[in-house]
Amino acid sequence: MTRRWGMVVDLDRCTGCEACVAACRAENNVPTVGEAEAAKGRAIHWIRVERYWEGEFPDARVRFMPVLCQQCDAAPCEPVCPTYASHHTSEGLNAQIYNRCIGTRYCGNACPYNVRFFNFFNPVWEKPFHLQLNPDVSVREVGVMEKCTFCVQRIKRAEIQAQAEKRELREAEFQPACVQSCPSNALVFGNLNDPSSRVAQLSRSPRGTKLLGELGTLPKITYLEKGAWDGEKNS
Amino acid sequence: MKRREFIQIAGITGATAALAGCGHPEHQLIRFVPEEDLEPGTDEWKPSICPACRAGCGILARVMEGEAEVVRKNQLGLMNMGLVKKLEGNPLHPVSRGKLCPRGQAAIQITYHPDRITDPLRRTGPRGSGEFQRITWEEGLQELTAKIQELVRTGQESALAFFTRPLGVQAGRLVELFLASLGAPPAVAFEVFDEVVLRRANELSFGRAQLPTFDLGNTNYLISFGADFLGTWNSPVAHARAYGEMRQGRPGVRGKFVQVEPRMSQTGANADEWIPARPGTEGILALGLAQVILTEKLRPMRAASDAQNLLEGCARGLPEYTPEEVQKKTGVARATVERLAREMATHSPALAIIGGAPLAQTNGLFNALAVNALNILLGSIGQPGGIFFTPEPSTHARARKQKAISVRALAERITSGEGDSVKALLLYDANPVFGTPPGWRVRDAFERIPFMVSFGSFLDETSILADLVLPDHSYLESWVEHVPESGTTLAVESLAPPAMRPLHNTRSMPDVLLAVAHQLGGRVGAALEWESFDAMLRESLAALSKPGAGGSKEPPMSWEKAQKQGGWWSAPVNSPKFALRTARVPALRSQEPEWDGSPQQFPFHFLPYPSQSFLDGSLAHLPWLQELPDVLATAMWGTWVEINPQTAERLRIEQGDVVEVASPHGKLQAPALLSPGIAPDVLAMPVGQGHRNFTRYARGRGANPLEILTPLVEPETGALAWAATRVRIVRVGQGKLVLFGGDLGVSPRKRSNR
Amino acid sequence: MAKKTAEQIYDDLVEPVFRTSPRFYVTAIALGALVAAALFAWGYQMWAGIGVAGIRRPVFWAFYITNFVFWIGISHAGTLISAILRLANATWRRPITRSAEVITVFALMIGAMFPLIHLGRPWLAFWLIPYPSERGIWPNFRSPLVWDFFAINTYLIGSSTFLLLPILPDFALARDRSTGLRRKVYNLLALGWRGTARQWRSLETAMHIMAISIIPVAVSVHTIVSWDFAMAPVPMWHSTIFGPYFVAGAIFSGIAALIIVMAVLRKVLDLEEYLEPIHFDHLGKLLLMMSLLWFYFLFAERLTTWYGNQTSEMAVFWETQRGAYAPLFWTMVLLNFVIPFLLLTIKRLRTIAGTVVASLAVLVGMWIERFLIIVPSLARKYLPYSWGTYRPTWVEITITLGTFAAMGLLYTLFVKVAPIISVWEWKAGQHKQPAQGGGAREPLAAPQ
Ligand SMILES: Nc1nc2c(c(=O)[nH]1)N[C@H]1C(S)=C(S)[C@@H](COP(=O)(O)OP(=O)(O)OC[C@H]3O[C@@H](n4cnc5c(=O)[nH]c(N)nc54)[C@H](O)[C@@H]3O)O[C@H]1N2
Ligand SMILES: Nc1nc2c(c(=O)[nH]1)N[C@H]1C(S)=C(S)[C@@H](COP(=O)(O)OP(=O)(O)OC[C@H]3O[C@@H](n4cnc5c(=O)[nH]c(N)nc54)[C@H](O)[C@@H]3O)O[C@H]1N2
Ligand code: SF4
Ligand code: SF4
Ligand code: SF4
Ligand code: SF4
Ligand code: SF4
Repeated sequence: MTRRWGMVVDLDRCTGCEACVAACRAENNVPTVGEAEAAKGRAIHWIRVERYWEGEFPDARVRFMPVLCQQCDAAPCEPVCPTYASHHTSEGLNAQIYNRCIGTRYCGNACPYNVRFFNFFNPVWEKPFHLQLNPDVSVREVGVMEKCTFCVQRIKRAEIQAQAEKRELREAEFQPACVQSCPSNALVFGNLNDPSSRVAQLSRSPRGTKLLGELGTLPKITYLEKGAWDGEKNS
Repeated sequence: MKRREFIQIAGITGATAALAGCGHPEHQLIRFVPEEDLEPGTDEWKPSICPACRAGCGILARVMEGEAEVVRKNQLGLMNMGLVKKLEGNPLHPVSRGKLCPRGQAAIQITYHPDRITDPLRRTGPRGSGEFQRITWEEGLQELTAKIQELVRTGQESALAFFTRPLGVQAGRLVELFLASLGAPPAVAFEVFDEVVLRRANELSFGRAQLPTFDLGNTNYLISFGADFLGTWNSPVAHARAYGEMRQGRPGVRGKFVQVEPRMSQTGANADEWIPARPGTEGILALGLAQVILTEKLRPMRAASDAQNLLEGCARGLPEYTPEEVQKKTGVARATVERLAREMATHSPALAIIGGAPLAQTNGLFNALAVNALNILLGSIGQPGGIFFTPEPSTHARARKQKAISVRALAERITSGEGDSVKALLLYDANPVFGTPPGWRVRDAFERIPFMVSFGSFLDETSILADLVLPDHSYLESWVEHVPESGTTLAVESLAPPAMRPLHNTRSMPDVLLAVAHQLGGRVGAALEWESFDAMLRESLAALSKPGAGGSKEPPMSWEKAQKQGGWWSAPVNSPKFALRTARVPALRSQEPEWDGSPQQFPFHFLPYPSQSFLDGSLAHLPWLQELPDVLATAMWGTWVEINPQTAERLRIEQGDVVEVASPHGKLQAPALLSPGIAPDVLAMPVGQGHRNFTRYARGRGANPLEILTPLVEPETGALAWAATRVRIVRVGQGKLVLFGGDLGVSPRKRSNR
Repeated sequence: MAKKTAEQIYDDLVEPVFRTSPRFYVTAIALGALVAAALFAWGYQMWAGIGVAGIRRPVFWAFYITNFVFWIGISHAGTLISAILRLANATWRRPITRSAEVITVFALMIGAMFPLIHLGRPWLAFWLIPYPSERGIWPNFRSPLVWDFFAINTYLIGSSTFLLLPILPDFALARDRSTGLRRKVYNLLALGWRGTARQWRSLETAMHIMAISIIPVAVSVHTIVSWDFAMAPVPMWHSTIFGPYFVAGAIFSGIAALIIVMAVLRKVLDLEEYLEPIHFDHLGKLLLMMSLLWFYFLFAERLTTWYGNQTSEMAVFWETQRGAYAPLFWTMVLLNFVIPFLLLTIKRLRTIAGTVVASLAVLVGMWIERFLIIVPSLARKYLPYSWGTYRPTWVEITITLGTFAAMGLLYTLFVKVAPIISVWEWKAGQHKQPAQGGGAREPLAAPQ
């Protein structure tokens, strides 16, 4: 059976530390746009930690919610793309082929989660920052849409390694950068088609919900709701 | 470079050269013969240590072949070399256990920073002008040695000062030996958010002048007094990992988490219950909780007497801390006090943490002792789900032992032009000009020092005053070593060889000191006979891994293995025992915080806090962190003043308006950020921005809250009470916030939840 | 209307093509300058990067797509109207059909520019064309943008034919009355029109077929344009009403454009006797009808959204009713409904001046309408944390103004090429019997 990569985000573990955000930037050559562009709303973060206030002082509460590409099985960003730059892979990934993108930004409008980011200018890496660029990830040019790829370069590396060693890809042999860095293990990645995998088991948790699931985008990311403290249970 | 020159150089070095003359400058550079052979496209993982904070997480650096412009033998050229591409946590390392925080991820930019100092520099312009001239290492070392020799000759060794950020144990020892053998005073370690108060409290309470380690993973009830332990305090990565376990790691059990702080931190945002007690009254609240536990006899008598050993009055049931009293002083409803006390007493293992602002009050030590007493009462000392102390791995004295002299004292000594004031100062990666209140007149003091050498990699507010800059390698380019103070119950000495070859014409500070020592010869040369820092590390490790070191029964670990796995650590010790020291601190002493400035003139408490991205500002030069949205404010590339929406409404301040915040000691301007997570009488501001220099990315960005702090200190330790300032605020005009989250100009109130 | 001799008609309608006043040059140069400015702005955008425009995340579409929808809408003036009027055989149409069809062709050309202008990498626009390429991949036929490509091209070809066919006799006329190089040119343009009975018959049949077939094309074009939005799951875009809503709006703005153009021609070319108040009165009534229809659509859209009360849609709804976009919204209602309604229902006000004022209001109002359909939905799309804003830059503004200048310029030039009133149709109109063969009985173009 082909693999179906998926993720679980445990909102009860997530502390809002944003290690995932920095890790993704470092792994995927995500460009830094600078203050002026950021002020225009053009900052690029393939994964972001959304923050929602609830209530007023002194009863103010906060909810953190890491949001990345949901790798929808019915991805609205795909049919609208006139050049197949945004398309579905056999393993169910929503792939983005940069050199095919002509920059209509239609996919960005169609994506309900606003996780697609556009290169309004050519990215710059002040020398010698360019020496840090990950050679496994191509850099994007002006006019091209980009987004979370589930760190497809890591998936490919692992697959190639497995092939070379003539064996199956092992569970948890690799992780996307955000998952690997997440200090509280709030992010879990794996093969949803393998019922024994941790991600598959957690996806079935009663705390599980889909982000904007009502839109029928069939996301491959499951959010586990924050738990409540049940004093009795513990005493 | 002219074409003829190029051909000469190519001839001299005999390295292969790409065709000259075609447009690309790199093709006019000579091509060095690679110093290592790497397979293109393959990667190698090398251990190192995160330098970004004191936690010292062990990391793995992903090294791949690439092509860099490098300097070899004072010659710029192209070389295919191993370059660090990505950092991950080191899964074997007891503190990080394979995880990193955003600062640790971004720290890779330190190495590749375009504004790094690439060569030794000599000052040409006036002090602080930033005008320097490149010199060779020979010249630089010559100059430094000569200066020291002059001091020795004129018998002024004691006028040599060494000023540094907290060093690793071995580097610290090397510096100590260097200074001691010269007859110079010991090095002054400086941090903005140092932990002097807590270490002192733990010394009094538990006989350990050390930051605590928490077993959060097994805690059922956690109350934290102002500690941003998931964000910036103590050992965030270790805490976060255990926190995840506390919440969802144990089937059927989910620990409760209560946070006490007047301004909601990233950590507080995760709490089940958030309690904005009045600033500085945390100790009183802690004893209030203890009072209820004692009077209702919710804990065994032994616990009470243990607590009594630490804090007088526990045996009597702390009559001064009735819920009514506590409500009056802290603003926390008596019902809440009673409920919390019962909950924590009945849901053991329960644990209380204190850190950050509550310790940075004039009554900081009292607050710390009160919480320690509460922990003793809760029986959380050295118990699963409780408090531990990381064992000392090394037989050597800790570098972080409190020195006789503090920054403030040193500055005073100099400015008062007192007898043997400082004639020469060696500066390593500490930035007190940025990090101390103007009242301490550190800049003034440093400007009076005739000769100043910086080993730093960047020109920050302090090192720009230097006469001589001898730039250090980046951590990825040098031997690194660190002994975590907390974050694990194992004895650890992290240690790693360089992960990559140096990009620039730099040298590691310890090696420079050794070189100088050898040139000086005599006593100094004898004291530091190692030919290089790694030789010293090797020796120390040999001492370490002798059986018994750090209370472990380990067979000695080989030098090679240590290098490979990133250090040495003992086998798991289930619960390192330590004695409860009987300190007998009178409970009532200095319990009330003191403030500078009258509440009428300055109606607001001013709360500077370490920023999620920059901590104390030492990371403000990294563009990744500048563009990382603060998770609560969602702001990027700037700073802001947090204000309660009701207060803002009353003062006609809107989101983004520029406000002026004035204390008795200065004023600053910054855009206002409305936040429901802050008490109406408190204004908060992240530390880290407001640099005068410190690279193109940090320069002239926002304001530095430390510049308006009152120089009050905690009396016993002399630590800066950085949370003891009162301020007033006034709107001065339209402004701009660069927010990542949501529509600009929409206040969090209007935009609560969908 | 007073009966005119062939000579008078010729002097009134064909002469202006040959007579060039300084006023023409002034106008042409002024408009040309504006167009040049717009071209410069576009060039700058391609050189510096699309970022010099004001678009940002999540408002990825704004001014450019607004202009696209607006101009494609305007293009519905001509063909659709004149086709309907032809089929309905409304004789009063005769002097206005051509000026209407000209609008269509030029508006389409301008509108079709914007899908290119707004691209991040316009130099790769040809990937939208289905051709067997070395890349071995076709465009994605599921994408409404590809549907646009076909629809617009079909419409452009159709409406051009629809414009050019009935000009042939007039080109012939010009040919016969001119000499030298000009004669040679018109000789080519006339495609050997001799005005034989056979030619007349085939012309009439052709026009009939075109008139019938162009209507579904026109309707489909703006429906497909509306689907660029309706197909995406974006709050208040994802709506079945968009097809008819857009088509109605298109005809609405089209008529307004036509009225203004006619008024200008009437003044500039002294066509008072040809474009008479009655024409403006009729078109005024049409405009009023479309205004009412437009308002009905707006009402239906807003009411169902409000009543359905879906969280995500209400965020957009209130942003336009009360929020940042409210001023624009209510201005739109004033311009598209209140003003036209007052001016066009009251007979005294339905004068030439009255209809022109109403039309100007509608043009501006419909531009705003396109903007309000596109931007607020994107700015308030689902997760509030990712909401955003939009501010246009000088680049977008210059290019937008440039397109209006382009329309004026193209029109000015066209008037120098062919009679803006179809001479033969007008003459045919003077005879009491229908046009068929009418021309043939009185040969317009006898071979010399
Ligand atoms: N984003 C993106 N990435 C790509 C591609 C893409 O299309 N887009 N294309 C891929 C493909 S097909 C290829 S082949 C690779 C090519 O990628 P590379 O193999 O990196 O090719 P270059 O960068 O042209 O050459 C590498 C270096 O070799 C140096 N060099 C030149 N002559 C000599 C010499 O005589 N000796 C030595 N030691 N060095 C020399 C050059 O200065 C240059 O810096 O890139 C791949 N990567
Ligand atoms: N100036 C210059 N010339 C070079 C080189 C150089 O570095 N500089 N490098 C040389 C080398 S090493 C190489 S390998 C060649 C590479 O040269 P090319 O093979 O031309 O490589 P590209 O131009 O990257 O890709 C070719 C075209 O394929 C299109 N394309 C993208 N995705 C797909 C797809 O899925 N299917 C199909 N069928 N087409 C797709 C791209 O848009 C592009 O238009 O260039 C050689 N020539
Ligand atoms: S790294 Fe993990 S804990 Fe931190 S914000 Fe991301 S998901 Fe949450
Ligand atoms: S989340 Fe957005 S970008 Fe990702 S697959 Fe779904 S629609 Fe496409
Ligand atoms: S922006 Fe690129 S990826 Fe998105 S729809 Fe247009 S062409 Fe496709
Ligand atoms: S999966 Fe990879 S690409 Fe996607 S957010 Fe995580 S790190 Fe970024
Ligand atoms: S906590 Fe973060 S900054 Fe501190 S050492 Fe660990 S990774 Fe580095």
